[in-house]
Amino acid sequence: MYQSKWRSLTNHVILILGSLFMIMPVWIAFASSTHTREFLFQNGLQFLPGGHFFENYGKILFDQSATKGRVTALQMLFNSMVLGLGFAIGKVIISMMAAYAIVYFRFRLAMPLFWVIFATLLLPLEVRIVPSYEVVAKLGLLNSYTGLILPLIASATGTFFFRQFYRSVPDELLEAARLDGAGPWRFFIDILVPLSVTMIAAIFIIMFVVGWNQYLWPLLMTTDDQLYTIVIGIKQVYNSLYEGGQIPQFPKAFALTIMASIPPVLVVVIFQRMFVRGLVETEK
Amino acid sequence: MATLNLKQVEKTYANGYKAIHGINLEISDGEFAVLVGPSGCGKSTLLRMIAGLETISDGEISIGDRVVNTVAPADRDIAMVFQNYALYPHMSNYANMAYGLKNRGYNKDEIDRRVREAGTILQLTELLDRKPRQLSGGQRQRVAMGRAIVREPKAFLFDEPLSNLDAKLRVDMRLEIKNLQQRLGTTSVYVTHDQVEAMTLADRLIVMNGGVAEQIGSPIDIYNTPATRFVAGFIGSPSMNFLDGRVSNDRSHVVLTDGTRLALDHNVAENRDVVVGVRPEHLSITTPTESSIAAKVRITESLGAETLVYLTFGSKNEAITLRMQGTHTYAAGDELTLYSNPSQIHLFDQASGRRI
Repeated sequence: MYQSKWRSLTNHVILILGSLFMIMPVWIAFASSTHTREFLFQNGLQFLPGGHFFENYGKILFDQSATKGRVTALQMLFNSMVLGLGFAIGKVIISMMAAYAIVYFRFRLAMPLFWVIFATLLLPLEVRIVPSYEVVAKLGLLNSYTGLILPLIASATGTFFFRQFYRSVPDELLEAARLDGAGPWRFFIDILVPLSVTMIAAIFIIMFVVGWNQYLWPLLMTTDDQLYTIVIGIKQVYNSLYEGGQIPQFPKAFALTIMASIPPVLVVVIFQRMFVRGLVETEK
Repeated sequence: MATLNLKQVEKTYANGYKAIHGINLEISDGEFAVLVGPSGCGKSTLLRMIAGLETISDGEISIGDRVVNTVAPADRDIAMVFQNYALYPHMSNYANMAYGLKNRGYNKDEIDRRVREAGTILQLTELLDRKPRQLSGGQRQRVAMGRAIVREPKAFLFDEPLSNLDAKLRVDMRLEIKNLQQRLGTTSVYVTHDQVEAMTLADRLIVMNGGVAEQIGSPIDIYNTPATRFVAGFIGSPSMNFLDGRVSNDRSHVVLTDGTRLALDHNVAENRDVVVGVRPEHLSITTPTESSIAAKVRITESLGAETLVYLTFGSKNEAITLRMQGTHTYAAGDELTLYSNPSQIHLFDQASGRRI
């Protein structure tokens, strides 16, 4: 780390430029969301924030009429949170248990079953969305959180990652635990889960963001406005942009977008810390 | 504390590979038994069968007077120390040692008493709150032993516990293990491929090769009267010199490949093809006599207190190692005349490798 001042200056200039490049669109969206729609319509996108931050955000958060449907942004954020958390937590739990069964128990068809799970990686959601819809509809789970989360909860990716991780855990740990009188359940809870913390954090981050950003599935599953997620909400606002001969709702759309991006950012920031700590702790 | 009994124990893997070919062994109460052999000889498999980590294909293993063939590892009342320590990395050393007791439903005070006591014995008291990764290799292995001690098991099983340590630490830990075992008087089975460890630790040594116990006995007996050529070559360092030869008509000599005659006082049939075994430390340099070996120096290794001389002998360039006290220097190509007392010459059958 003994660099010349000059070199470190160059590095910083490059880094700062790169960051600006990434941040600028978000900033413009934020700045533009704090103006009135008339102002925005006349003057285009804004670099500097205006004086209508509380007005715009307050309205979209708490006032149903601000969005197209009869639902506040707060409710949509809550729905997205339920979907994201349910999605992430469910996937972590299910895939950990599936991987545990595949790696540590010798049962017939273990390998074929693993490859079946693995093969579902090849099928994107869109391919199986019609049959999935059919199943959920027949179970009467349309317009419910269960229907939103449950059909997506099995995760080939998660199972695969946990399987790889478990296989890297030394066999001696299992043997030591067996000698210490720990049954399969104890071993899983006392040894394997704590050792997987890093892995859990990583999968959780990824799955939360994926869940949060789900679009097609919630769009099909929900016809009730009260169950709209924020991502669908954004779409609805944009839909109304050119309808009804009004001045487009650009500031609200921007405000909604900004709000939609905050929770995933928070999750990444919080869990990344855990992720790094986990990495340091399992280091031998 | 208990005796450990193995009757005709066999292990055949699912793929048909037979790892253990019928081993009989009785380890008495408080005895320190060492299984030694080259890698792949089945010693670890045998230990793991005693622990219950491998199934027993045939035969019977009993601990105390209970046959444990189908008893789960945790219920066999044994404790094992692994080569890579197998400590739970996310738990403190205290928790590592307490885990087995906790699972067995001991109350907190009892667990605490036992862990603290083991900590004192192993000088780990200050380290109990740390995690394994904050300890050195030797300390980790002490924690692993602590985990075994707190259980107060009927037997300790050691699976090459010192292999991951550096040479100096290995010697220290070896003494510690020996001390500990004598102090606790717990029956122990110890697996190693290091014959020095085996010799120093064992009350009884089991030399294994290819899934068979080649010889069972006290270390000194095995050193003095190895039952097979394999055992003779495996125990002792540097290992024994082997030279092909044939017993003379009058049975007083063995004739080596180049015609050299070595005096014998063995009772052996005439004209029999034999392998002559002489330990490097039993050879000495002498003036040429009727019964001496003439060999050429290849390399000399000076270790300070002793010197190892590697020589070649005869037309077939058979290798001979000589171990001498003190420092000596020889140039490559120097001719030395070697002699061994007939009582220190071992004879093995050429075909079967058995001792004659």
